[in-house]
Amino acid sequence: MMREEISRMEEMFDNLRADRYPLKDFIHIGKRGPRRVDGIQKASGKAEYTMDVMLPGMLTMRFFTSPYPHAKIKNMNTRKAEAFPGVRAILRYDDPELPEAADLGGHVPQAEVVLPGTAYFQGQEMGAAVAADTEDIAEQALRFIEVEWEVRPFVLEPEEALKPDAPLANPDIFPFGNHYNELLLGEAFTDIKQGDIEKGFAEADKIVEFRSERRLHTWIGPERPCGVFRWNGDCPEVWVKQQRPHIAKRVISSWFGGVPMNKIQMHCLYQGASFGGWSQVNWNFGGHYCAAVLAKRTGRPVKWTFTRREDFFGGEMDEGVYYLKVGAKKDGTITAVEGRAVLANQQWPVFHFLKHLVENTRIPNLYGKMLAVLTNKGPNVPTRCEQNANTHTQSLVFDHIANALNLDPTEVALKNDGAYGNHMEWLNQQKKERGFEARDSLRECIEKGKAAIDWDKKWHPPGTRRLPNGRMHGIAFTWAHEWDDSAGSSEMAIRIERNDGTASILGMGCDNGVDAENSYCRIAADELGMKLEDVYYNPRIDPGFFRMTPDSSTNTSINGFAIRHAARILKQQILEAAVKPIAKTQRGSFPPVFPDAGPADLEIRDSVIFLKKDPAKRISLAEFVGPSRSAGPMADLENLGDRTAFSVPLFAYGYHVQTGTYSMHHVRPRLCRQAHFMEVEVDTDTGQVIVTKVVNVNDVGKVINLSSCEGQQYGGTYMGVGRGLTEEVVYDPVTGVMLNGNLLDYKIATILDIDGPIDTILVETGMGYGPYGVVGIGEDVATVLPALLGPAVYSAIGVWVDDFPITPKRVLEALGKA
Amino acid sequence: MTEIPQQECRYLCPYCSRVLDSFEDLKAHVLAEHRTEPVPTPEGLIHLTVNGQPYEVKVDPEWTLYQLIHDRLGLTGTKMFCDRGACGSCTVIMDGRAVLSCMTLAIECEGADIETVEGVAATHPLLIEKYAEHHAMQCGYCTPGFVVTVKALLDKNPNPSQQEIKEALAGNLCRCGTYPQHPVAVQEFVKERGSAKNDA
Repeated sequence: MMREEISRMEEMFDNLRADRYPLKDFIHIGKRGPRRVDGIQKASGKAEYTMDVMLPGMLTMRFFTSPYPHAKIKNMNTRKAEAFPGVRAILRYDDPELPEAADLGGHVPQAEVVLPGTAYFQGQEMGAAVAADTEDIAEQALRFIEVEWEVRPFVLEPEEALKPDAPLANPDIFPFGNHYNELLLGEAFTDIKQGDIEKGFAEADKIVEFRSERRLHTWIGPERPCGVFRWNGDCPEVWVKQQRPHIAKRVISSWFGGVPMNKIQMHCLYQGASFGGWSQVNWNFGGHYCAAVLAKRTGRPVKWTFTRREDFFGGEMDEGVYYLKVGAKKDGTITAVEGRAVLANQQWPVFHFLKHLVENTRIPNLYGKMLAVLTNKGPNVPTRCEQNANTHTQSLVFDHIANALNLDPTEVALKNDGAYGNHMEWLNQQKKERGFEARDSLRECIEKGKAAIDWDKKWHPPGTRRLPNGRMHGIAFTWAHEWDDSAGSSEMAIRIERNDGTASILGMGCDNGVDAENSYCRIAADELGMKLEDVYYNPRIDPGFFRMTPDSSTNTSINGFAIRHAARILKQQILEAAVKPIAKTQRGSFPPVFPDAGPADLEIRDSVIFLKKDPAKRISLAEFVGPSRSAGPMADLENLGDRTAFSVPLFAYGYHVQTGTYSMHHVRPRLCRQAHFMEVEVDTDTGQVIVTKVVNVNDVGKVINLSSCEGQQYGGTYMGVGRGLTEEVVYDPVTGVMLNGNLLDYKIATILDIDGPIDTILVETGMGYGPYGVVGIGEDVATVLPALLGPAVYSAIGVWVDDFPITPKRVLEALGKA
Repeated sequence: MTEIPQQECRYLCPYCSRVLDSFEDLKAHVLAEHRTEPVPTPEGLIHLTVNGQPYEVKVDPEWTLYQLIHDRLGLTGTKMFCDRGACGSCTVIMDGRAVLSCMTLAIECEGADIETVEGVAATHPLLIEKYAEHHAMQCGYCTPGFVVTVKALLDKNPNPSQQEIKEALAGNLCRCGTYPQHPVAVQEFVKERGSAKNDA
């Protein structure tokens, strides 16, 4: 079985079919409770985060930031700052020790200028880093840095940046213009072409055209970006607030002429969340590089920090303007969609805004052009998640055309479900060929959602239902495919501890609060036959290898395989060890525990190994591995005369690697669907939109960690509603300075901002490619819900507001009242 | 047991070396003759109680109470999320009232009785248990602020309604969106505390 499991492990890479090796009984997988393993630590304030790290002699480092949206340092005088009491070292952009560029992490290792002398957005970290006894001292010293600037022209709005006479946002790297994706990546990434768009519109009974805008919004990680760097001799010890500790270790090893990987000690403590965001920015290890230099120079550990305001520079990749045209037949069959979008500052302009319509529908004729442009604002990176532009488009396309045809949007969705321009019959055939039960995921989700929100009773023509409280009632629906199935790899291991037989899962990863660790414990416990409380996973320590961490939209579907393989191999190891005489001392072989049995005769349940045909013959895992004794961890009473059982060290690793659905090559169609329903009330005097009910129906394939899935459903709802109604980073058009980089003026949702229930409905069709048929859930709700506010408000007031976020001002403008 | 003879207690004036019989006499003498405080307090020295423990700490005038609690006393459960009184993560209870420690100057806390999340956790393990059981946290960074705010609410209103809990927590931001679980955890705590009575 061990060899068999290893060959399965390899077979599963890029598998194109349903899980062929399911588990018969789910004891812990998919069940509620027990309590969160990290819950007591977090609620009692004992959980340690990177910002809490305090080391003897530690200095705090802060960055100088640009006051201008586009400017170059001509001269910098740091003498006064250096003389400031408590300042221990200043690193300047022109320091001879700094390389021209170094690998500073991000989504992929990438060479970047460590400490730039030119800023391309206001607030950019540049010019100097000050290490001082306290953060306050560093902050004050920064004010004594004097700079002579070359102030350059800037551009802030995506469509402005496209104009021929627009200032160049970054003439040093992009001298050819602000529109960069077409030249860099070619048509394969800028254009989506499917079928015959002219023919599609000619076949249409109804055509609607509209323009939509999505203003810049951002991630807001509760813990500020930070890190700690200490040199123990020539060995770096690093604390990262990072979703990608594996990339972190790799980039650090490339610095200073090369640092051997085995000398680097990483710590990835509890993470005050970042939702992708900061972890994806190319420059995200600039702080660590500068801290490493100053830690070496001062001989002291250095903690670097951003201010809360500095965390605001950067945003989600859907910022921009969308022009969309949809054609459909009277019955709701969409014949063609054409789109053009101008999107700002995308660090990876590869997630086309029409991609969902390709992967999620049968719409035969599509044409979309994506223009990625640079402006003088911070980098826009995947922030829960990279599909925002896609779901924005899909929701608005479907809801605009359904309303224009006076059709129920759930019916229009069902009529157009499919993939790559093909009908459901084709997709169902795909399901069968791949070994899945051909279930109609979207229909199941819609039926459950409609019942929960009482759709048939509440749905009404737009702008027609005034409530007794005077507000207008709106109700809306949207849908999307599953989340998500991307490229990635994972290495995880399980070790059985001597003395008590508990299992420790190994593999460093970022624990940002989604309780993924509990999922892996559940899989390990069910596969090993152990009690859930006997399995523990601390991903914050560095065993030298890494699991997939929340970083590429794909975690459980990859890590789940790795931990399952490890558990299955380990179980076989345990059973073989239980029947075999293993090892010899001077006194002969150790006696086996089950001398007359083979591994297949044994089973493990509740952390006890027993003989299947005679369960009374049993030994607990704790007794089996035995205690460590005075003569070392394994030798027992050998030298005293008694003979005892002996167990080899029990340790197994598993791994997984895949390309996933996410590849450009459409290797495996997405089969699971998600449905979302929302009710709102709109006050037509104030323009206020009040969300009164949300129903999220997620086909997650198979639930592994029930409470965690629900947490993503209601948690994502608050983030989604905030994004849809209030979240907008505002810049001053005259100075290019960010105006609301704080949590008083940038409004995220509070506990009172949803005035009603959030239903969390989970559907398990088993049609995911992950272990047990699982797909992801963490990104769906917060990504899909913002655009749903559009049709919800339309349903209430009968006028489209396609400019997001839908603030009271924009509602009143739409009503002609402002 | 041998009785140790009591030494005669004498008090020496630090300004003129006059010997006095009692501390009260010494204070009266210094005030009358030397016109100064008898026991001068070093600048910035404050006395406060944190989680029932008395502290005498010298603080800089610009330190916030957050800095004192988190950086100086090492009670790192009190968190800084927004930095300007907008998020509630740094909430502590001061003399029975929930206050934002990032908006409170440490030097003004002379004589204050402070309760941090560590103190609440020690006296209310059942509340912490309910938070863990109902997943009233994800990344957990803002959670201590919620727990302290809830404790301050319960001190004033031992059996709050769901709406009262939500209103009390309206100033606590949670980016992960764990909001719906907090009223559940709190009401479960209230219910079980009522039956068990073993948790304050």
